[in-house]
Amino acid sequence: MKKNNRFIRDRIYQILISLVSLIGLVILIAVFGYVIKNGSHLLSWDLLTGDYYSEVYDAYYDGNPVTGSEFVAPSNLDNETYFSTRWGIALKDDLDVEGHHYILVVYVDINSPLASLPDKNEEGNYVSVTSGQELGKIIFIDEGYNIMNPTDGAENAIQMFDENSDIYNIILTTSGKGIRGSLITTVYLIVMTLIIALPIGVLTAIYLHEFASKTNKIVGILRRMIEMLTGVPSIIYGLLGAAVFIPFVSSISNADGGSLISGALTLAVIILPVIISSTEETLKTIPDEYRQASLALGATKSQTTFKVILKSAIPGILSAILLSIGRIIGESAALIYAIGTAIKDEIIITERSTSLAVHIWSVMSGETPNFELASAISIIILVVVLLMNLTVKLAVKRISR
Amino acid sequence: MALSLKNSINIKKKNRIIDKITRGGLLIPTILSASFVILIVFFVSMRGVSPFLNSQYGELSVDFIRFISGTTWYISPNIYGIFYIIINTLYVVILAALLAVPVSIFTALFIAKMTPRLISGFFKTVVELLAAVPSIVFGVFGLGVITGIVKNIAELFGTQTAGGISTLSTVIVLAIMIIPTITLLAVTAINAVEKDLEENSLALGATKMQTLFKVTLVKSKSGIFAGIILGIGRALGEATAVSMVAGNSGTGPNFNIFNTTRTLTSTMLLGLKETTGLDYDIRFSVGIVLIVLIILTNLILNFAKKKIGRFS
Repeated sequence: MKKNNRFIRDRIYQILISLVSLIGLVILIAVFGYVIKNGSHLLSWDLLTGDYYSEVYDAYYDGNPVTGSEFVAPSNLDNETYFSTRWGIALKDDLDVEGHHYILVVYVDINSPLASLPDKNEEGNYVSVTSGQELGKIIFIDEGYNIMNPTDGAENAIQMFDENSDIYNIILTTSGKGIRGSLITTVYLIVMTLIIALPIGVLTAIYLHEFASKTNKIVGILRRMIEMLTGVPSIIYGLLGAAVFIPFVSSISNADGGSLISGALTLAVIILPVIISSTEETLKTIPDEYRQASLALGATKSQTTFKVILKSAIPGILSAILLSIGRIIGESAALIYAIGTAIKDEIIITERSTSLAVHIWSVMSGETPNFELASAISIIILVVVLLMNLTVKLAVKRISR
Repeated sequence: MALSLKNSINIKKKNRIIDKITRGGLLIPTILSASFVILIVFFVSMRGVSPFLNSQYGELSVDFIRFISGTTWYISPNIYGIFYIIINTLYVVILAALLAVPVSIFTALFIAKMTPRLISGFFKTVVELLAAVPSIVFGVFGLGVITGIVKNIAELFGTQTAGGISTLSTVIVLAIMIIPTITLLAVTAINAVEKDLEENSLALGATKMQTLFKVTLVKSKSGIFAGIILGIGRALGEATAVSMVAGNSGTGPNFNIFNTTRTLTSTMLLGLKETTGLDYDIRFSVGIVLIVLIILTNLILNFAKKKIGRFS
């Protein structure tokens, strides 16, 4: 009887432990599920290549009055989309990310007179009405001026398009909320950071493992100081960037305040311990016979290190690079201090701009957090970071086999 | 013959010099790498001390005693009291650890001891992926999902929250973020326990669970504790996700889990607009307090770890 009890209790514990271990899996699925549910519909080529700031165009129509109605609606329009057979344009009511109503251009026929309109503000410049733009106020001319306000809705707008033969003025807003600037910034940061950190990190690892004596006290202290870097929280690195690298970069370039360079320098310090420890781990796995064989053939220690050992350490260095890229893409707190939070469309390395992660911070810390855009960017970040980590894991498994 | 011997000695000398130069050259990046810790401490302190100096801010300068013992923090009109923020930070981190430690240990036992290799490999990968999820993504998840859940829980208890932004949300987000750290170290520690020991326990008639709890866990507690120290260190310094769900309360300390809170890191990160002036420099002072707090916590926990390790 007592024995039975023991085994029942055992079973209960077992079930309890199994259930608790599911928590990690549930959280991972929940995080993915949330960002995919909220952000996947925003993911598009336009999001990746578009400007963040929308631009307003003021245009007019200068061709012959449009009288025929020869345009045919494409077959894939839904019920809520209205089509003008006279002008060849399809419109739809939509809500923007802040919840305001606006009229969205869904489709413009390639032969439509709207495909190329002269810009009112810049002579010789042409504006084309394309899908994804927001339609503003339009002043039509037919037998007098007819004004279409964006608050009238898509159905009214189409009706007016069909009734009028000429446009005196049309206001268009390009969609905006694109992340091209932040995407480019992230790539710049990755490249610049690796260029700075990789040589320093790899050479440090080589010194510590190949050249330094294992018993030297000073070497031990240096090693301890490098190890301490791993425990420093990223926001403190941000303070380092703000207090040291921003003034430093400002003094050697025309940068004023935070810049991509000060950000890259800060990130370089953050990934330095990763590169050093990862490289040193691989150096440890290289058998001593390699070193002895090379030395026995008459090579100097320097030659041995740089021509034999370094070559064998390349897989370890590559995995360090992948891990570093993951870290750089995900880093936010440090960059908020070391660069700033201003989103930019034009990227200059001596000026401010945001990485993808800081872009999320910027759109989330405003008055109305933009969950959809934040989730869409999160999907990109998660996919890249997790792919990097899985690749490293598989590669390590392969090598150790 | 003599010539070639001389030649070879010459070459040897030359090689030795080349190696010396290489060694010296490699020492430069090594010293550079090691110097960053000093740079951090030195420059953050320089900047963080300036708000207390009359020479820098004149009449605006902050009184250090008031700063370290104060229980209100308002950017305007420059009232900076950090005492309650330290208490809130510790409170949030301790609660997060209480939540994360059992989950982590159970998950680690499951991964290390209770499943066939394929399943345990899968679960370990899940935990590793969770460890790789960036803080900002947990922030979005926290603000989008966890605050909603906390809001509902608060309504069950008949209280209101600021849209779910609260101590409890912060605790949950932090716990989620440190579970992978503690779990992975615990798995390593548990795997390091000698098989013989467990087999002996089983042979003596103990059940599998008795063995796991009374032999395996006891034997690996030192390693697990190291994981907990690492996790707490990470929780103390975690900034982005915490800032998004903490709410930055102006006074405290606050121990009600449904009220908003303010941690050292959220104080540093939120409302950051100017990059000069007292409100900016005082964030460096908070940074110093954070560094000191992390070092002290580490020292105390490591001392405790030694004490615990002795009685195994």
